[in-house]
Amino acid sequence: MKLEQAQIKKIGLSVAVLAVLLYVYFAFLLGPLQQAVHNQTSGIASLEPQIADAKKQISKTAELEKQAPQATAFLNNLKNSIPDGAPIAWFPPKMADFFRSHGIGKCTTHLISESADPMPGFRKLVWSVDVPKAEFIPLGVAISSLENEEPLLNILNVSIDAAREDAQYQHATLILSTLVKS
Amino acid sequence: MPLHVNLYHEVQRQELARRRDPLRLGMLAVLVVAIGFVANYFVALGRSHSIGTQYSGLEDEWSSIEPKAKEAKARQEELNGEIAASDAMVKSVDGRFYWAPVLDEILKAVPRSVQLTHVGADAPGDDKAINSVLTISGISSAPEPRKEAEAVRTAIDSRLGSKFKHVASVFKALDDSDQIVMLDGRRLPTASFTMEFQIQVRDPIVVAQPAARKARAEAAE
Repeated sequence: MKLEQAQIKKIGLSVAVLAVLLYVYFAFLLGPLQQAVHNQTSGIASLEPQIADAKKQISKTAELEKQAPQATAFLNNLKNSIPDGAPIAWFPPKMADFFRSHGIGKCTTHLISESADPMPGFRKLVWSVDVPKAEFIPLGVAISSLENEEPLLNILNVSIDAAREDAQYQHATLILSTLVKS
Repeated sequence: MPLHVNLYHEVQRQELARRRDPLRLGMLAVLVVAIGFVANYFVALGRSHSIGTQYSGLEDEWSSIEPKAKEAKARQEELNGEIAASDAMVKSVDGRFYWAPVLDEILKAVPRSVQLTHVGADAPGDDKAINSVLTISGISSAPEPRKEAEAVRTAIDSRLGSKFKHVASVFKALDDSDQIVMLDGRRLPTASFTMEFQIQVRDPIVVAQPAARKARAEAAE
């Protein structure tokens, strides 16, 4: 079949209209829509793990929150056991009372030094406790009790000398450190 | 056979030509394609709307959960700090050097014939120090007072050795004395002594060698 000139022009026009239709559809309708879908899909892909991580973080913290009171009870008890006020006001009388309760009548306590402790919220104080007259066994018992009853206290140095005037008694000096609230 | 004359053939030819008009057919084809595109567009729009709804839902969830997660993270760090501080405190309390057992062992090891004049001891200075130093001075009285002093050193060394990781002891001084003492009705010569005990109270901290130095050391061996 031989096409006429007019028919060829009409076919050409139809093809041109189809091409314009295709261009308009893909460039201005389907293209932006697919771009938006792509953006939203990648947004979902990035948000989902973030939300999952956030939920995991919240539940982990809640779990830790349940365990924390038990885990920090020791530290809190120790903090609560430290009297308020200046240590120089309460520590020497405390030592005097302690040794008196163990049958050692006299002891004097002096502050040697004070420094910040690596443990946050605490200061380290070093004291010299002088016990001029004590028998060895009661002194040993007192030192044992002191170590067991005062967890914040650390005896750094012990010096026990025989008393010159009475061989039954000893003169003891303890250098000890203790932690107080800063 | 009757003669049949089609008087409408012109009209029919024009009708056929109109029906086979390429422009008309082309426009019909374009219309079909356009309808297909519109249908496809609506399907795509529906899918996009569904994804958009899901996305905006997730965005809302994220915007509400994100501050809570940040707060939870900060709280977690705070709690971890408190737990670490508590653990460090427990370690510090448990890691103290206890003097009472040392004094008890000295008391058990020293016989009546020996009088201690001085007991001095230093706890390990810090976390890295592993040794505690104990110095004991005294007077031993026996027919052989030096031997008695040595027996005391050995006894204390042995008793402390059973309690601690390692104990090394030496006499810093051991001198015969002019003093004579009365013990159980006997006159006994005396010797004064000073002994030092190095007590290892904890294991040394092993520092890992750098790989290159380790390899050289192995090659040298």
